[in-house]
Amino acid sequence: MSKMTGLDQTQYHPLVGVSMATLKPKKVRKNVELTLWERLYLFEVLRGLYTTSRHFAVNLIGFVFPPAGKKRKVFTVYYPEEQVVLPPAYRGRPVLVAGPDGAERCVACGLCEKMCPAKAITIMAGERANGDRYPLSYTLDMSRCVYCGYCEEVCPKEAIVMSSEYRGLAQRDRNLMRYSKEQLLRPEDSVKVRLEYIRRIYSKCNY
Amino acid sequence: MVADLIESIAKIVFVFSVNLGFFAPVLGWVERKQSAVMQDRIGANRADIFGFTAIGLFHSLADALKVLTKEDFIPTGANRFFHTLAPFICLVPAISTFVVIPFGGRYELFGHQVNLVIADLDVGILFVFALASLATYGVVLAGWSSRSNWSLLGGLRASAQMLSYEVAMGLTIIGVLIVYGSLRLTEIGALQENFFHWGIFLQPLGFVLFLTCAIAENKRVPFDMPEAESELVAGYFTEYSGLKFVMFWMAEFLEIVTISGIVTSLFFGAWHLPFVSDQELLSLFQFAGPNGAALLAMLVNVATFFAKVIFFIWLQMTIRWTLPRFRYDQVMRLCWKMLLPLSLINILITGLVVLVL
Repeated sequence: MSKMTGLDQTQYHPLVGVSMATLKPKKVRKNVELTLWERLYLFEVLRGLYTTSRHFAVNLIGFVFPPAGKKRKVFTVYYPEEQVVLPPAYRGRPVLVAGPDGAERCVACGLCEKMCPAKAITIMAGERANGDRYPLSYTLDMSRCVYCGYCEEVCPKEAIVMSSEYRGLAQRDRNLMRYSKEQLLRPEDSVKVRLEYIRRIYSKCNY
Repeated sequence: MVADLIESIAKIVFVFSVNLGFFAPVLGWVERKQSAVMQDRIGANRADIFGFTAIGLFHSLADALKVLTKEDFIPTGANRFFHTLAPFICLVPAISTFVVIPFGGRYELFGHQVNLVIADLDVGILFVFALASLATYGVVLAGWSSRSNWSLLGGLRASAQMLSYEVAMGLTIIGVLIVYGSLRLTEIGALQENFFHWGIFLQPLGFVLFLTCAIAENKRVPFDMPEAESELVAGYFTEYSGLKFVMFWMAEFLEIVTISGIVTSLFFGAWHLPFVSDQELLSLFQFAGPNGAALLAMLVNVATFFAKVIFFIWLQMTIRWTLPRFRYDQVMRLCWKMLLPLSLINILITGLVVLVL
């Protein structure tokens, strides 16, 4: 696939993706003959034990005397107390974006409802006094949502985005997982990073 | 007479409280925490009592509480009698093999000879092997009586593996027995007073072979064919729950302790400190009077013994969390084609050297 043929029969090199040279699989060595030293196994075992013991000793010292100024070697995150900062590509709970006036941007076109593969979204449209459409109710059933992000991709108004919220997604009661419009509304600033990200990946910069 | 009785009871209480009260619960913690530290993780640390977590130690307590509330489940069609009996057959040898392992020498205390071993048997090490082979029955019965295919496969594998490795394990220590000329573990321990008479210097090959066989006999990870979490669900104890399940785990942990005790007594100078003879140790504590000196020497020796035991527990845990599993045919090949001939060669060389010297 290093060369692609275009519709006009011209050959060009695709700019996206990984070049074929990188993708070329390394020659797999099958039935490798082990050396005598390796086949004795005992010394390889000792080598392995040395590696694990070194990690053990280093970490043990690190637990007792944590190295100052350096990041710790153990990368475990104590979840409820510590939280990782998620990259913008993370698809968490879908939320409705509020406009500058605090009302939702959604115009209740129903594209997301139509697109949703899990049928998690239910919209009832209404009309404002000035003639604008708006959702009377926007129900998101998070017990059905599969976090595919199609609603965000299809939305012409950038009104629904996948936020990085991941706490409280699971509930013991299914009724608690049906979110109304008011519960989903977020100010634009809180999802700004994700908005910029989807403009880039979905080429939404055109409109 | 009364003094003998008190001495015996004190020793039994000491050994059983150390084994069942300290090692069995703490090894559960060690297994979790040591694997975590080796793999750059943190490990269990959430169980707490009033906010004190004690670096995860309370998880053993929480486990015990949880297990007590579990249903004692016996599958339909299982042989109820043998299904209940099997964990006991596993656990009893694991607890009782420690009685012949000396955790200290002989001391003259208040005109009374104290010998720090519960049962100073003539057959010593043979008793350990006799009981260890009984544990095979527990595993095989557990696998057979559960009426489950996983369990049956685990039990079959266990029977083949454990019987094979028992042969090799028995042969590996014959070299030690030739060198020290005794089966009695207290005598073997006493003969290792000189640092350069430790079993590891006289029988280095024997040590490696014995440790390998012992780990295989204990069915731990490089040789965990009977359990085989990745193939058989949990092997021979798939169908066990609650306290019976824990009895298998306790048997495994106590076998680790027993293996460490045997390795220490046979190869690592038992209760002796390196480069310090018993006489020197007694004269070191001369200031405390004859009884005080004997008492202090006893404490030092017992502490030395258990320090060595803890080191070997650490070593076994490290091996368990370092090495990948063998395939079943590799396990058997290692036993019959490597360990057995090597142990026979070891016996031959040891015999020749002893004959020549």
